[in-house]
Amino acid sequence: MSDARGRRVGPLLAALLPGLLGLLAAGALLGSGRSLRVVVGAPLPVAVATVGLLVTAAALAGAALARGRRRAVAVAASAAERAGREDERAAHRRFLLRLDHEMKNPVTAMRAALPGVAPDRTLLDAGQARAYDTLEQQAVRLSGLVAELRKLAELETRPLDQEDVDLAQVVQDAVADLGDQAAASGVARTITVTLPRAPWPLPHVRGDADLLYLAVHNLVANALKFSPADSPVEVRGSDDDGVVVVEVADSGAGIPEHEQAAVFDELVRGEQARGIPGSGLGLALVRVVAQRHGGTVTLRSRPGQGTSARLRLPAV
Amino acid sequence: MTAPRVLLVDDEEAIRDGLASFLTRSGMEVETAGDGEAALALHARWRPDILVCDVLMPRLDGRSVVRRLRAAGDWTPVVLLTQVGESSERSAALEEGADDYLNKPFDPQELHARVRAVLRRAVPGEPPLVSAERLVSGDLVLDRTARRVWVAGREVMLTPKASLLLDYLMTHPDELHTRERLLEALWGFELAVSSRAVDHRVAEIRRVLGDDAAAPRYVETVQSLGYRFCGAVQRGVRP
Repeated sequence: MSDARGRRVGPLLAALLPGLLGLLAAGALLGSGRSLRVVVGAPLPVAVATVGLLVTAAALAGAALARGRRRAVAVAASAAERAGREDERAAHRRFLLRLDHEMKNPVTAMRAALPGVAPDRTLLDAGQARAYDTLEQQAVRLSGLVAELRKLAELETRPLDQEDVDLAQVVQDAVADLGDQAAASGVARTITVTLPRAPWPLPHVRGDADLLYLAVHNLVANALKFSPADSPVEVRGSDDDGVVVVEVADSGAGIPEHEQAAVFDELVRGEQARGIPGSGLGLALVRVVAQRHGGTVTLRSRPGQGTSARLRLPAV
Repeated sequence: MTAPRVLLVDDEEAIRDGLASFLTRSGMEVETAGDGEAALALHARWRPDILVCDVLMPRLDGRSVVRRLRAAGDWTPVVLLTQVGESSERSAALEEGADDYLNKPFDPQELHARVRAVLRRAVPGEPPLVSAERLVSGDLVLDRTARRVWVAGREVMLTPKASLLLDYLMTHPDELHTRERLLEALWGFELAVSSRAVDHRVAEIRRVLGDDAAAPRYVETVQSLGYRFCGAVQRGVRP
């Protein structure tokens, strides 16, 4: 803080010094009682131009000072906003960990007790068996949710591997895995992958290959999930000014505008997601992975036309 | 074979009750304790074959229980009900000398499987491989605290994940591990990553150690199931 103040006061003193010296010298000359005059033999055009230039210089200097101040204020405001966001993320992380801590014991107890209710399931009548299955499925579901939330909280802070990662390979792996899965479930999908070869292939990034796979996988899986089986999904890689971009686009139902801001938050499931299985944590995970790699993930969507998600990561 | 004696320690009565009856039905003899002090007292009296111990407990926590046992030269196996995640935690885990970890909430079947696996590995009265600082298998030496590896006296370099994977395989030799289980061991939690991730790391281990997949000395592929460390593993001493 004192450094910043020093940087602002220094130039001001330097600017005032000539003025002060001039005033002091004038005072001394007046005090001497002698009548001294300067006669300048400059042509009038030069004198006029000089006065004009001096006024311009003074105006420019004033404007520069004001701009500097505005910039300093803007920098301070953005630093405060960033710090505020980080505080918010930290508070959020603490909340997730508390939630995990408070939920894991009750859920463990439920799962441990349940088999004792009906050690031999074949002895239950149909209604009892259904009720038992419901209890078991929902306990497992809760269990999974607790584990996923903790995973998110943990991925925000744990040290990451810093390996050289070929994002093009990661994209191809994720698309191949999801394509296989779709085919195995009886609904083959068309996923078009476009990766640059000229003028150069997709630059590598530094980070954790497993987590980057997870991010790309979740984006492609979402595109498949929220678009009709006969519609194409496109995955494009590109690089721009030191940033590697992976774009995943679908021509599905799109996301209503009022839901778009929140899609990367935990447990958010949009209207379109009703009736489609999922935890509401897939995109939150993508966001954490992007942030931990110094990147971002953004979304553009038009209801009725489709959605495009862009993962941007710093190139090596 | 007599029923293994399990000492179950957790401060939540609901968890103690549920797990105790589950493990009893699975053919184990179970006693319970509600905190670390009570657990140590019962352990001295009852001499269980294994302890299953929560971490956060009043009076004496789970980690302190393990430390006290090990400090007294007691190598009764312990499964801690927490997560081993970050590498810093992993070295702490090595120092505290627990035999396995299971994160809450879990499937009681999974706890049963882990308890059986730890009991199978344990040699009564002897420290387990997971407590060793160094492991040796033929030409291969792994320094677990320094995370350094030598083959025939020459140091080789593995990425952090490959070295963690080698560590896990060597501390659990001669056991078949599915790719999912290995991923969980690497991350400390289930990560829905491609099983390729494990294959890549195993390929790296083989390349760096000069191991031949067709005639492995160290890591053996068990077709369509997973991997197994096939060399004999001993505790090593630091030079």
